[in-house]
Amino acid sequence: MKHFRKFIGNKRFVSVALMLAVLTGLLSSGVQPASALHGSLPPTGLVCANDSPTITLVTRTGSIILPDGNMVYMWGYSLANQPFQHPAPTLCVTEGDQVTIVLHNTDLPDPTSIIFPGQKNVLANGKPTQPQYDTGGNLLSLAEMAAPGETVTYSFVAERPGTFLYESGTEPTKQVDMGLFGALIVRPLGNPTWAYNYSDTVFKESTEFLMLLSDLDPMLHVAVEQGQPYDLSHSKPRYWLINGRAFPDTVAPNGADWLPNQPYGALAHIHPLDEVLNPDPALVRYLNVGKESFPFHPHGNHGRIIGRDGYALKGEQNADLSYQDLSYEKFTVNIGPGQTYDATFYWKDVEKWHPTEPGKQIPVTIPQLQNMVYGTFFSGSPYLGNTDLLPVGTQALNACGEYYHIAHNHALNQITSWGVVLSGHITFTRIDPPLPNDCGQ
Amino acid sequence: MSQIKPARNHRNGQFSRRDVLKLGGGLLGALAGSVALPKALLKPEGVAAAAGVKSAAKASIQRPVYDEVIPNKHLAGTDGWIHLPGDPRPPYFPDNMTPDPLFNTYIFGYHDVSGVAPQDLIKFKMKAQLAAPVLILEELEPYYLKLTNLGLQLRPDLIDAHTVHFHGFRNAIPIFDGEPHSSVGVPIIRDLTYYYMPRDPGTYMYHCHFEETEHVHMGMIGPAFIRPALNKTLAPRKFVYNDESTEYNREFYLCLSEVWLEAHWADSHIQLPEWSDYKPEFYLINGRAYPDTIVGNGYRDATGEMVGPAGREDLANQPVTSLITTNEFDQVLLRVNNLGFETVTMTLAGIKMRVIARDAVQLKGRNEEDLSFMTSSITLGSGESTDVIFEAPAYQGVNGVGQPDKYLFYSRNLAPLNNAGWAGKGGQMTEVHVFPRNDSITLPDQTEPNT
Repeated sequence: MKHFRKFIGNKRFVSVALMLAVLTGLLSSGVQPASALHGSLPPTGLVCANDSPTITLVTRTGSIILPDGNMVYMWGYSLANQPFQHPAPTLCVTEGDQVTIVLHNTDLPDPTSIIFPGQKNVLANGKPTQPQYDTGGNLLSLAEMAAPGETVTYSFVAERPGTFLYESGTEPTKQVDMGLFGALIVRPLGNPTWAYNYSDTVFKESTEFLMLLSDLDPMLHVAVEQGQPYDLSHSKPRYWLINGRAFPDTVAPNGADWLPNQPYGALAHIHPLDEVLNPDPALVRYLNVGKESFPFHPHGNHGRIIGRDGYALKGEQNADLSYQDLSYEKFTVNIGPGQTYDATFYWKDVEKWHPTEPGKQIPVTIPQLQNMVYGTFFSGSPYLGNTDLLPVGTQALNACGEYYHIAHNHALNQITSWGVVLSGHITFTRIDPPLPNDCGQ
Repeated sequence: MSQIKPARNHRNGQFSRRDVLKLGGGLLGALAGSVALPKALLKPEGVAAAAGVKSAAKASIQRPVYDEVIPNKHLAGTDGWIHLPGDPRPPYFPDNMTPDPLFNTYIFGYHDVSGVAPQDLIKFKMKAQLAAPVLILEELEPYYLKLTNLGLQLRPDLIDAHTVHFHGFRNAIPIFDGEPHSSVGVPIIRDLTYYYMPRDPGTYMYHCHFEETEHVHMGMIGPAFIRPALNKTLAPRKFVYNDESTEYNREFYLCLSEVWLEAHWADSHIQLPEWSDYKPEFYLINGRAYPDTIVGNGYRDATGEMVGPAGREDLANQPVTSLITTNEFDQVLLRVNNLGFETVTMTLAGIKMRVIARDAVQLKGRNEEDLSFMTSSITLGSGESTDVIFEAPAYQGVNGVGQPDKYLFYSRNLAPLNNAGWAGKGGQMTEVHVFPRNDSITLPDQTEPNT
């Protein structure tokens, strides 16, 4: 079926130009677009927004850009004095930190709050947080609120490492969809490149990735912007976002200046596993802040699930003081609403296909490309680190013969953007040839 | 489409008239000393090499030409028709575009054309089957899978390519992964042979990844599994993984999927569905809805045509039964995968199951911890697979002499138990039939899955 956002074969439409623009940043190494929000960010990987465990957040209204051309009105949390961003800043603290989050409800017309699922003994204004009721006993909020213009201070000790959400506890069906959510990372004390306090949860520092999955009902946002009531029982998601972006924006770099309010990319950029030279896997932190399960399927290789909801998958201690290992490998991670999963992953060049080494050529005839359709990420060559001729007119976005593998929600009705297919919950894993290489990085 | 034009032969090095013209273009470019030669003019590689272009010579190295291997499986991608049981749901069901009242639902799919002569391939246009033919690979034995795109007979306006994505295959390289953004897809009347070196036993699945939301939902889905080398070491015993605890006697694959009638109707009526409105009415196992799930197997005849189960020609394009037949105390393996879009919980009423693997990985910790577990239900999101083994309970003869005991395996989501949305008709459900041992109705040893 013909849809405008397809880049294959004869179905190339205007969006290719957009795609090209998006990927220019991705492929031009060393050029990191300045972000109004965070200055110069690394092009890929999880970015921490805070320097200290004492954090001031303000509420903001703003808008995000979606790949079908729509702009959607949003609410958000931002760091003090910062403009609107979506999702909220990724907060990183260390195990044992006394975390203090001061929420100034500066810009929203409604009262709001923050809950910290997975954290124990959260205090609001110094007292244990409690559900809030009106005088008639009706539930108002899951936690203490800040009325418009008011402030509430939350504090807790980050007791254990892991991947957590923080999100609105006030009218969450509405406010979370409006954008009031973010990721909270707690790192082990003394071992920032371990996901948990176990040496087998180690990951390569430059390959830590965030996949914060959400869904969005644009009609709710229109109603909120116009101050109209909205029947949430009729709510229907039309957009599915990773780190606040829908594909192809997901593969644009962190801080891309053409996505001024959506600073977080979702491209996973790795090198092949090498037991000696590149032994540590990458880490991906999956969070589902949406309203249903998202079965996320990264192509290329299984991931090893090492943590869930901020708990390492470890069992009892053995006699030799090691711990039972309850981790497991999956090719699809079905993440329930509000859940987080941590997975280590790698891609290994197992067959070591090579265009000239004797006996290492791919053993089937790869047809000439005029007998194929081929994608924008294809180098023209089936071999890692090689490029080959592409027919004239091809929009080629491959830099140095690197491989790409798609990573996507396998509920395929959700890899769409309000009718535009091949959008939504899709990103890619970029696998560069082993270093040194010609990729310029 | 009256015939297939053979793709230009890349192997014999013969020049067509068109190639000669290109040669001229390439030479002209070379003579002009142009730095930026138009790349298309430099095809094919041999011509470019003749023109003395260095980068083109590299191309010929990268795409060596081999004698054609006989593929382990040859699939054709095309459209077709199936039969689903259920009361009418106008205007979508039954589909009024059907060429034969036996069938009522339009699909895309694969057809097994292994061994079919090239000039006969076109006979299988509009012969898609659901679920697609099972792929059975042996650990460390190379597997060649050829895909030919026959086009869509009912939608000549669609020039869709097809691919095979071997879902879950470890350390895949893009050219054999079937995701066309990262590599290539197969346009109409072209073919591609995928090569797999299976290193990791287990239960996988495969599907088309071209315009995947549509092509997967329309039916380009099938089961795939890799058998462990242990089967050879300890033959004739059968195992799921290279671990003796995964031994079984009987094997059934169950491929779960869904049909949203509006989307299927839209494809047969040159319309576009709004995928965020996704709401399926039919829930299938191996491409059929109960009670058709327990009808026997169809088969593929000597010419490659599908023949329905006896008396059920309407199931000709849905050849695989989901009826689970076993003798008492047998170890029964269910390889379940879900290529619908919804998360489903399947329950086996009255029999305990042991989940031994998920996503083609035996449930073991890194230090050999046994993570398998007993359950009466399994939950699968889209794109997940689960292996369970259960021991068939003792035969009780509750249905009378010569009759098996029956148990139900069904979707506890319940909505999937309706056909076309009307309550109580069947859906994602099948039966387990338990036979006695040492009896006239005792089943012989199983030789093929799903028999």
